[in-house]
Amino acid sequence: MGTAHPMYQALTRLYPRSFRGEYGDDLVQHFGDLVSDRGLRAAWTRTGVDLIVTIPRYRLESIMTEHQSATTLSIAIGLLAAGGIASLLTGIYPGLLLLAAAGVLAFAQRGALARAIRTPDSNLRRRRLTTAAVLGVVFVGLYVAYISLIGDRWTVRETLFAIIGTSAMFGAAGFLIAGLLTPKSPSPSPSASTPATR
Amino acid sequence: MRYSTGVSPSDPAPFLPLPPAQFHVLVALTEGQLHGYAIMGRVEESSGGLVRMGPATLYGTLKRLVDAGLAEELASRPAAGDDQRRRYYRLTGLGRSVCGAEAERLAGLVRIARINLQPGMG
Repeated sequence: MGTAHPMYQALTRLYPRSFRGEYGDDLVQHFGDLVSDRGLRAAWTRTGVDLIVTIPRYRLESIMTEHQSATTLSIAIGLLAAGGIASLLTGIYPGLLLLAAAGVLAFAQRGALARAIRTPDSNLRRRRLTTAAVLGVVFVGLYVAYISLIGDRWTVRETLFAIIGTSAMFGAAGFLIAGLLTPKSPSPSPSASTPATR
Repeated sequence: MRYSTGVSPSDPAPFLPLPPAQFHVLVALTEGQLHGYAIMGRVEESSGGLVRMGPATLYGTLKRLVDAGLAEELASRPAAGDDQRRRYYRLTGLGRSVCGAEAERLAGLVRIARINLQPGMG
């Protein structure tokens, strides 16, 4: 058997933390049972394919959970809006379509964004406000640098300053609003008095 | 959570059709309370060796079934002296109902296939 179990155990670390935390011990025990019953080669044949198929799948599913997808969504909206604003500044007006896309995306996904904001997590409020403060500092720093460095014509450098600066500005505003809207402490769930559904 | 819009908690319809892996695990659990490794063995037997679940596929499927309320983990070990690290699972009432409904659905499909594939048809 040798190093089979430690190696499999190490590979299970590639699964998302939540899955690993819940089933990590079961996976390793299951692998050990397979080795005992069917031999090392058969165990690796089965679990090798399983690892290749399930690691990317569970990783993707983990990314697509509501909270994380709301974060991804917020970043996408911020970048699109920043691109649109930057296009205004640089005079490349077709880039305004990015701003329109950001608006459409924010409107279409307003439910998911609202649910993510209302998450009753006491630490989340602090984290969001801290992120807003950090992005605010980044924005002010970039703005000062932009004012002192900008030349008389638009170059890649100015465009990058504009995109990163406006992203930071949108991010700071978004995180500030989300932080202020996040409950200070977990609010009692209305379902607490009703039977669980599962 | 998924029944907040007026659907009865015991209605199997929203779960159908079941993904094959979930159906295989539910069928295995109709035998009673089983731990993960035993479920894998039952699935392999019942499929004639065609379905060979790896550990992560199996536990991912179990997680989905538990999250959906179709299976549940036992708080205690059914057999004294069994490995305390093993976790046992069993069907819930809803799981049994969904498993039966999926079996009926597949049986109907098999009937249609048999009729249409009879010699002289189509």
